[in-house]
Amino acid sequence: MPDSVTNESRAGSAAEGTIPFLEVRDLQKRFGGVRALKGVSFKIERGRTYHLMGENGCGKSTLIKIISGAQPADGGELVINGKTVDNLDPIGALAAGIETVYQDLSLLPNLSAEENVALTRQLVAANGNLARPLDRKALRRTAVKALSAVGLPTDPYFLSTPVEQLPIATRQLIAIARAIASDAGLVIMDEPTTALTRREVDNLVRVVRGLHENGVSVLFVTHKLDECKAIGGTAIIMRDGQKITECDVTEHSKTQLGFWMTGKELDDKRYRATRHSGERLLSVQELGARNFDGVSFDVARGEVFGITGLLDSGRNELALALAGISPARRGGVSLAGSAVDLSSPARAIDAGIGYVPEDRLSEGLFLEKSIRENVVMAVLDRLRGAFGLLDGRRARALAQKTIDDLQVATPDIDNPVTSLSGGNAQRVLIGRWLTIEPKLLILHGPTVGVDVGSKDTIFRIIQRLAGEGMSVIIISDDLPELLQNCDRIMVMRKGRIADTFEAEGLDEDVLYRSMTAEDNSTENRRGDR
Amino acid sequence: MTDITSDTAASRAHTESAFNRVTRWLVRHPPAVTASLIVLVCIVVGSINPDFWQMSNLFDMARSTVVRGLFALGVLVVLAAGGLDVSFTAIAAFVMYVITMLVTNYAPDMPILPILLAAGLGGAVLGSANGLLVSSLKAPSLIVTIGTQYVIRGFLLTFIGTALFMNIPAAMDAFGKLALFHHQSANGAVSTMPVYVLVLAVAIVATWLLLNRTLMGRAIYAVGGNAGIAERLGYSLRKVHVFVFAYAGLLAGIAGIMHVASNRLANPFDLAGSELEVIAAVVLGGARITGGSGTVLGTMLGVVLITLVSNVLILVGIPSTSQLAILGLFIVGAGALFSIKPRA
Repeated sequence: MPDSVTNESRAGSAAEGTIPFLEVRDLQKRFGGVRALKGVSFKIERGRTYHLMGENGCGKSTLIKIISGAQPADGGELVINGKTVDNLDPIGALAAGIETVYQDLSLLPNLSAEENVALTRQLVAANGNLARPLDRKALRRTAVKALSAVGLPTDPYFLSTPVEQLPIATRQLIAIARAIASDAGLVIMDEPTTALTRREVDNLVRVVRGLHENGVSVLFVTHKLDECKAIGGTAIIMRDGQKITECDVTEHSKTQLGFWMTGKELDDKRYRATRHSGERLLSVQELGARNFDGVSFDVARGEVFGITGLLDSGRNELALALAGISPARRGGVSLAGSAVDLSSPARAIDAGIGYVPEDRLSEGLFLEKSIRENVVMAVLDRLRGAFGLLDGRRARALAQKTIDDLQVATPDIDNPVTSLSGGNAQRVLIGRWLTIEPKLLILHGPTVGVDVGSKDTIFRIIQRLAGEGMSVIIISDDLPELLQNCDRIMVMRKGRIADTFEAEGLDEDVLYRSMTAEDNSTENRRGDR
Repeated sequence: MTDITSDTAASRAHTESAFNRVTRWLVRHPPAVTASLIVLVCIVVGSINPDFWQMSNLFDMARSTVVRGLFALGVLVVLAAGGLDVSFTAIAAFVMYVITMLVTNYAPDMPILPILLAAGLGGAVLGSANGLLVSSLKAPSLIVTIGTQYVIRGFLLTFIGTALFMNIPAAMDAFGKLALFHHQSANGAVSTMPVYVLVLAVAIVATWLLLNRTLMGRAIYAVGGNAGIAERLGYSLRKVHVFVFAYAGLLAGIAGIMHVASNRLANPFDLAGSELEVIAAVVLGGARITGGSGTVLGTMLGVVLITLVSNVLILVGIPSTSQLAILGLFIVGAGALFSIKPRA
């Protein structure tokens, strides 16, 4: 892949070897009375990896927005290739070689893979002037080059497929291919690995190495310590609008890094302490649907049961079937000994199954509505007062109790959910499902996009619920999270159960190998295409 | 990574029924649905009443697609950018009436080409006002254009005039009559293909080039797909908004003159009320009402289908009232089909 990337745009710069690609000097930013950035400085050298780390609200998103031209700074300097840049706008940042891959990947859903990869280059070449012809041949040439560099197909069918029809992992690579196609000097990846499994992370690491060989630097914005350590590079740690320290990420323990980020001691401990009774609650027999089949397992009362697997393993579909969202076609489910009907979400709720979806923003929360309304939403019919109208006082009391229970940090439960950080929003969603008093709570990716401090709180909540006799199923590809919280972990592979492990003392690599076993046969099958 | 994509593709091919495959293909190629509906209507109508297959009928159809087609191309461009324009009929009525009036009173000998240019320019100016309002108020374009539609029409009727122009300028009259070619049928009746259908042909080619061969075209789809992301990627929303509404205005202005030339009178009350029919034609052609999609071919097929239904069903004795119902069923059916999303 290295030869396929050209660096002409920067190769001319004489002192390339010595001048850093980007230097940030004493950057300041204020929002009203809040100082989001209190003078941040660092350098990005060529061909290296950096991790910008910090909890939500530490100012890292603001910093990224300034570097990518989306927001102006109030003070300080941006020096790109040795030149101070004023009034950076998005086109200017792209022209200077700074490509930002936001968490939503910034892909245009209705445009084809090819256009998403290669249009930016032409737009930048035209300096944002739209009254230019579109060079279709150059578009295809650029796209094919960049897509093969990240290992994606380059056949005409794939090139013309709208991005909205591609799986999320492929979209991620398309966003990276776009950075390659636009001859970026610095690729900023804003929480890039949230939706990816470990195999995909490994692939990402390979792509990043390839970028380095071409002098391209990568700045990850993240709070996933395990991944930072796997990728390696320099950590730039921020807290409260300031740079705390800069260090080699591999030379420090997660506890140390976590301490710098939060100012608190955090450790890798196992949260799961109590043992459950062993009395069977959930029994799944030979469940099958479009993407999984023959799935049978039991979950005991008070047990925390983990389910993992690659994206295409059927684990997501299994979760949706148990929640009644896309019902299973074969097999049966019984709860506390009696068969339950899971043909719709409402039936699943009636049966006592609560489901907290992975994508809070689009599937779970009504962002503009108040925290109170979001919490009581699932139990409105139980809060009926006189004339069948909603009993506002009881609703408020229930919401307040739930919010207090889960330690959601908010001054007022009438504030909209948008006023909360990711971790607190996640707790609101969990709170909603607790109001239905479920026998079984299914958490799908419970800490996706949640920072270290909030993770800790969520894990404690999970353990408390299990301690009170609720059964919990966690579906996740965050393996440390499963190892820390579960009694048993079931691995799915190609729609079947691959293995079930006792979590205590289990090694992460054993899990990972089980998830990715038979990968060789997959490789072979690829030849058939 | 590659094997993930190919895995799902492979398993799809195995597990999918023929019905699903056909549906999937149709969803990827919406104009095919429109085309098959057109063929269906032609076969049904033609087999009940063979008069359908006459050249004169084809000419009639072509003539009545011109104004609707010009409007539809404008709507397509606005819709592709994620907007909705309902002011184009008001713009057309305003431009046609003002220009007819000015030419009659001050330059009765003006040839057709400058008239068309002036109409296009006038329409573009009114349209860009729409675009500026949408991009500076950040208001939904449907609401803005409902407003400007009333303002433009009210201004026209209050301050400019309500009287019909029965004697339109010579150049417009002549252009409306000018024949591209004649056809003599077996019974001796002569039917004429007017030269002004070429205006639509030019607009079709220009719009196709715009959407498919310029950066502006890609920017239009980008903004229609997701305006926030497009802006982040460096596309100027303001440029795109002003451009698409100006373009729709330009086509509407020209359509206004074509309307006068073919009807040989300028009535300021004309054209009002046909907005939804035009938008329906574009949606029948496979453009999503939520923006970011749509093709010139599909749009023209949609226009042909709507024209077909409203012009020829009378040949098989279906009263105009039930034509409306049939049209409605087509629109609901197409809407339902196009809302099926291919699974990721």
